[in-house]
Amino acid sequence: MLEFAAWVESTRISKTLFGMSWLWPACESLHFIGLCLLIGGAGVLDLRLMGMFRGLPIRHIKAMMPWAIGGFLINATTGTLFLIMQPHLYLSSAVWWSKVAFIVVAAVNALFFETRLALSALSMDPDADTPRALKVVGACSLFSWFAVLYCGRMLPYLGTGN
Amino acid sequence: MAFFRSLQNSAFTEWLLGSDSIWTYPTVLTLHTVGMAILVGASFVVHLRVLQVAGDVPLRRLLPLYRFVWIGFAINLLSGLLLFVTEAADRVVDPVFYLKMGSIAVALCLGVIVKRRAIEPQGAPEVTTGLSRSMAAASLALWTIAIVAGRLMAYLKSAA
Repeated sequence: MLEFAAWVESTRISKTLFGMSWLWPACESLHFIGLCLLIGGAGVLDLRLMGMFRGLPIRHIKAMMPWAIGGFLINATTGTLFLIMQPHLYLSSAVWWSKVAFIVVAAVNALFFETRLALSALSMDPDADTPRALKVVGACSLFSWFAVLYCGRMLPYLGTGN
Repeated sequence: MAFFRSLQNSAFTEWLLGSDSIWTYPTVLTLHTVGMAILVGASFVVHLRVLQVAGDVPLRRLLPLYRFVWIGFAINLLSGLLLFVTEAADRVVDPVFYLKMGSIAVALCLGVIVKRRAIEPQGAPEVTTGLSRSMAAASLALWTIAIVAGRLMAYLKSAA
């Protein structure tokens, strides 16, 4: 894995991108904006699935999801740029791999909701309490996204021997 | 100025920055990011809906989201105060810091005005007025500026 990191770092694209001193802070800002879109949008749906915001129809919340997905795409793109610019920083970090694992958990969870539960959720009475399956899926999503945020923000500090 | 200098050089600053524990500075920093996600995340959702670009959620149903705006703000006010103490003398002369604080203040005020005008009133029209939409757009822009300014401050610090 470290050989792969060294190879990526030796490529012209990695050197060129990392050479643009403004690109890293610009990507960080975008990463934060994307995070707010993602956690804002997904968070409202997750809390609704958990039984909060009664009276807010789930189909109305789902109409906001393109913004959350847009936030995720911004962060996947800027995250990939970080990875190309400084591969060893991430590929050698257990915290970064945990972050990737939590993204996978959140994605699988979202896919499970979309394919198995969304139809019945959409037809629910907006004032009714949500069934347990939806509560679990909502809580799993909310936990995973905050775990992703935690791993990302703590990456420079965790597992550095301190 | 001497006051801010003494804050920045205080034993508290030394402890928060100097400790090897992940429970000091890194945790305060992470709480500041968690608060941002809650505060700006909830604000984004409200303002995008008011702008009419995020579906047609009944506006009054957005009211509970303001609770999260204030929870996120409280987390960030507290964690932000701790972060400020550690670099107080540098920040009081830093225009980027005032840009961030000003953007947050105006963005929050606009959020409250939008709530009173477009969200709270019984029977408020589901199609928002041009004025409400302008205020929502301004608030979205100001939150974005606050985030960029916050990020920028980390770089100005390491340059100093």
